[in-house]
Amino acid sequence: MALLYGLIWRLLLALVRIKRATVSWLRVRLRTWKGSFWQRTMAALLLPVPVSEFKQNKAGANQSSDGDDDGKGAGSRRSRWISDGISLEKLPVHIGLVVAEEELSYTDIANIVVWCMAVGVSYVSVYDHHGIFQKNNSSLQEEIVRQQHNLLGGDDSTFNMELLKNGSDKPQHFVVSCRPIVKVLSPEDGKHSIVQAARKLCHSVEKKEWSSKDISVSVLDILLRGPIIDTDHITIITIFIINTAGYIMWKKEP
Amino acid sequence: MSWIREGELNLLEKISANILMAGPMPKHVAFIMDGNRRFARKKKLERHDGHMQGFNKLAETLRWCKHLNIPEVTVYAFSIENFKRSKEEVDGLLDLARQKFERLLEEQENLEKHGVCIRVLGDLNMLPLDLQEVIAKAVVMTKNHNKCFLNVCFAYTSRYEITNAVREMAWGVEQGLIKASDVSEALLSECLYSSNSPNPDLLIRTSGEVRLSDFLLWQTSHSCLVFQSVLWPEYSFWNLCEAIVQYQLNHKSIQKARELHREEQALQQLEADCACIAEHLQHQGNGKPADAQRRQEALQHYTVAREERVQDFLQALKHKRDTFFTNLCSETVLT
Repeated sequence: MALLYGLIWRLLLALVRIKRATVSWLRVRLRTWKGSFWQRTMAALLLPVPVSEFKQNKAGANQSSDGDDDGKGAGSRRSRWISDGISLEKLPVHIGLVVAEEELSYTDIANIVVWCMAVGVSYVSVYDHHGIFQKNNSSLQEEIVRQQHNLLGGDDSTFNMELLKNGSDKPQHFVVSCRPIVKVLSPEDGKHSIVQAARKLCHSVEKKEWSSKDISVSVLDILLRGPIIDTDHITIITIFIINTAGYIMWKKEP
Repeated sequence: MSWIREGELNLLEKISANILMAGPMPKHVAFIMDGNRRFARKKKLERHDGHMQGFNKLAETLRWCKHLNIPEVTVYAFSIENFKRSKEEVDGLLDLARQKFERLLEEQENLEKHGVCIRVLGDLNMLPLDLQEVIAKAVVMTKNHNKCFLNVCFAYTSRYEITNAVREMAWGVEQGLIKASDVSEALLSECLYSSNSPNPDLLIRTSGEVRLSDFLLWQTSHSCLVFQSVLWPEYSFWNLCEAIVQYQLNHKSIQKARELHREEQALQQLEADCACIAEHLQHQGNGKPADAQRRQEALQHYTVAREERVQDFLQALKHKRDTFFTNLCSETVLT
């Protein structure tokens, strides 16, 4: 009987994997299909229909498609994305990308970063649990700049972003900037940073500079919060695997 | 309504449970039981009734977990942030908690029969004293039970829990039990409220909200997170099965990530110990480099001494926490 249950279990998981693959495939195909029939069908299959819920920008609706690479296409894409961002009821201030893939695609991540910035997100954090993006942050930066040029056109300095290497990295200048900020994080910026803060506080207690009773949430807040991102809320996007891959967020509302 | 529900699964549920149990099962599941108020609005009930239905669903879920051989469950019953709700709702929730914990005390035999250990995790000092006392009685009464474990997070947020753990380590330093250089990720984990439990394998949040709300952030860094749209009072056995299937689909990759993290932790600890030894030998040797054998011996001695210090500190911390609960129980006896 145990063997039979085992076989049925394997079959069940195989069916779920096939369903997931089919849904992913359909999502890609149906992105270009419009019409209330397909939307109703997808709603019935419990698939979210991306983008179609956004109010169509009348000027942008007749513009060229995503395939165009010339400046005119980039300009129309940019204006469409800006209007998409405006039409959202609530736009996250800070988006975190948790990348748990074995093979990292710099182009895919760069695209997502550029899209986030284009719709008006001010801060984007990118994390992978091997810290590869952080070690190769110059490659990531180059790819983001390249995709920015491809997708948004190269002349507009509105979207020139600032890339910070890790959680404690400070902006290069001290003037308040409206430029989007991208932070590249690794496991060292998660639990490790909390442990370092704890060690610092315990050293102060050892030197009798502090008492254990002085340690509070606000004290840790000050030690852990980076110099530029002071949002209480962070929206996390995990790619392909439903866990945070070791990243821990010291935020009130992650 | 009782915490412990008797009753078997029906035939279809039993067959499904047996199929699921052919694969890897989570040993510890955490629930964010969201959706009680929306359920009350949907059914045109009072909020209090929504929370009551939520408790009933918890009891039923514990029964399902028992049949699925899931020995440990943690639930987010009351967040520190919930104190910001209206006084009427907060008082209602605290009254409900009072009722339920008092009911728990009446079920002592049943709890012993099923071997249920109740733990309450949170900043209990924030609660009214009478509620603290009844919670303490429930915790002390069941502390030696070891068949299944229910952790109720009450007056809890993860940031407060982590801060408290840091404060406890600082207390350890103050008492001379540990050194600041002994602070590590493993030690911080041992100082959390949940130190007696393994990290959750699966975290489930109901009602469609996709956020963590400051719940077990430290412990769920390598857990499977499942967000389900069903409202908590409408949660079903099949919703639980669906969440377990998600866990099973991601099991291998999560295990791999956990293993990698464990290796990194061990390496970081070794590096930290080496750094301490290097500093110590530098002071002793007056600038002369120590030979490899001397360094290796010093490292072994240092590691053994550090582990002994840490064990003594954790014993002292356990004693402090046990005393907190037994003192509360004694206060009840005296009054």
